[in-house]
Amino acid sequence: MKRALLGFLFTAVSIVTLTFLALPIIAIFARTTPGHLLDQFSNRVVRDAFIVSLKTSLIAQAFIVLFGTPTAYFLATRRFRGHAVAITLVELPLILPPAVAGIGLLAAFGRLGLLGSTFEALGISLPFTQTAVTIAVAYVASPLYIRPAIAAFEGTDPNLTAASRTLGAGPTRTFFRVVLPLARGGLIAGLALSFARGLGEFGATIMFAGSLQRVTQTLPLAIYAEFDRNFDATLAMSGVLVLISVALLLGLRIGLTWQRSPSKRSLYLFGPSASG
Amino acid sequence: MRRTNRCLLVVALTIALGLVAGQAFARTNAQVTVYAAASLTDVFPKIDRTQKYQFGGSNTLAAQITQGAPADVFASANMTLPNQLFSRGLCSKPVVFTRNTLVVVVPTSNPAHIQGVYGLAKPGVKLVIAGPGVPVGSYTLQILKNMNLFGPVLKNVVSRETDVREVLAKVALGEADAGFVYSTDAKTVSSKVKVIRVPAWAQPKVQYGICVVSRSGHKAEARAFIKTVLSPAGQRRLRAYGFLPRVKPRK
Repeated sequence: MKRALLGFLFTAVSIVTLTFLALPIIAIFARTTPGHLLDQFSNRVVRDAFIVSLKTSLIAQAFIVLFGTPTAYFLATRRFRGHAVAITLVELPLILPPAVAGIGLLAAFGRLGLLGSTFEALGISLPFTQTAVTIAVAYVASPLYIRPAIAAFEGTDPNLTAASRTLGAGPTRTFFRVVLPLARGGLIAGLALSFARGLGEFGATIMFAGSLQRVTQTLPLAIYAEFDRNFDATLAMSGVLVLISVALLLGLRIGLTWQRSPSKRSLYLFGPSASG
Repeated sequence: MRRTNRCLLVVALTIALGLVAGQAFARTNAQVTVYAAASLTDVFPKIDRTQKYQFGGSNTLAAQITQGAPADVFASANMTLPNQLFSRGLCSKPVVFTRNTLVVVVPTSNPAHIQGVYGLAKPGVKLVIAGPGVPVGSYTLQILKNMNLFGPVLKNVVSRETDVREVLAKVALGEADAGFVYSTDAKTVSSKVKVIRVPAWAQPKVQYGICVVSRSGHKAEARAFIKTVLSPAGQRRLRAYGFLPRVKPRK
């Protein structure tokens, strides 16, 4: 009797939770039709924002992979003094309020910032440029790649790496032919998540890079700027971002359940790093 | 069995707590919620500190009110937005409660060596202005048109901010070379920015409008708040912060 009641209660609460999470998404599409959504792409503001977002996110992502992968491998395979500090540093942007990240970036790279005078002397001014958007995106999105990457590298079977080495493959060859393919799943998951996070970046961008159409105005910034002027456009842009996020998550989930991998993997994308 | 009981108790308590907290937040004891232009951030709490304030770009606030935000009073940095709400039946007929002027601010160090408004047309100047739709953004464009600087100066705009205080912050931080703000905003960070006057002939008509939001549940209190703002004491406060009398004195 009591058990049945508890079961019922949990079901009811779960339904409330899921409805709460689904409602805003449903509401966005309830107020636009797909045709209307496509129409908005003739709107210059929407198109420009889409291009700025895509460009800065892709460049940021390239840097995240280029620098994040070796860093993740290093942190996964080496143990040293301050390892925990390094992991914390990697994770920090994940929970840092974006506005704080924006202030931090200004304080570091702004004209009057720590490195600002150095940049100024070189004739480089970062704030209000597309580079600034890319930096903001890379900063806030990096943990979503590096964290799963560390977990993925830690999950690779050391015996396989050792076998590769004893069979005569050098460390470079082993890394590219054995370790990377083994960690592939985690790396791709991280890639998709950090890309999605980067596309949604708002707080750090508006503080560090400002907002100017065709230059620094990304989709989230355009949504905010157009909110009072053209609600349809904001709905359309929101719809686009929702679709991209859903596509990334679904693609990942399907990809991950399909892939048979030696390392155990859960269906949840935000698995904790194996060791902190 | 006992464990299930405890579980149930915890769940029930959580739900009860949630409901109570929700109620507590929903209840407002005759406190008026005032949605006010960002430029009023410092002065309004000094006129009446017992009310709840939400400051931001007047355009953003107007859009929020249109979407059903729980505002009782709307105080805008122009007359256009409250008039629009009025014509749609969303607020009472707005009245002018103060006026303002615009200035150009530059960081105290003045990195771009700007001496006058015409200096903003120099190539390479990093100018920030408020976004389209934000009242101070429209006023800025009017000034540039009045001074025949529209094209050359607009080329130097590096960011369009969401409200006047964001413009001010970017200049006060030294990230931007110059920005257009209200003279009253410049006064709030006088140690960090230098003020460059905009000639009187180029000044737009900056009137602040205030109205009672139609959906408000505290209309009487909202009207009382507006009365306070219009009262001699309220007007004195506004003038102390550099705002202009609501009616232009006859010369």
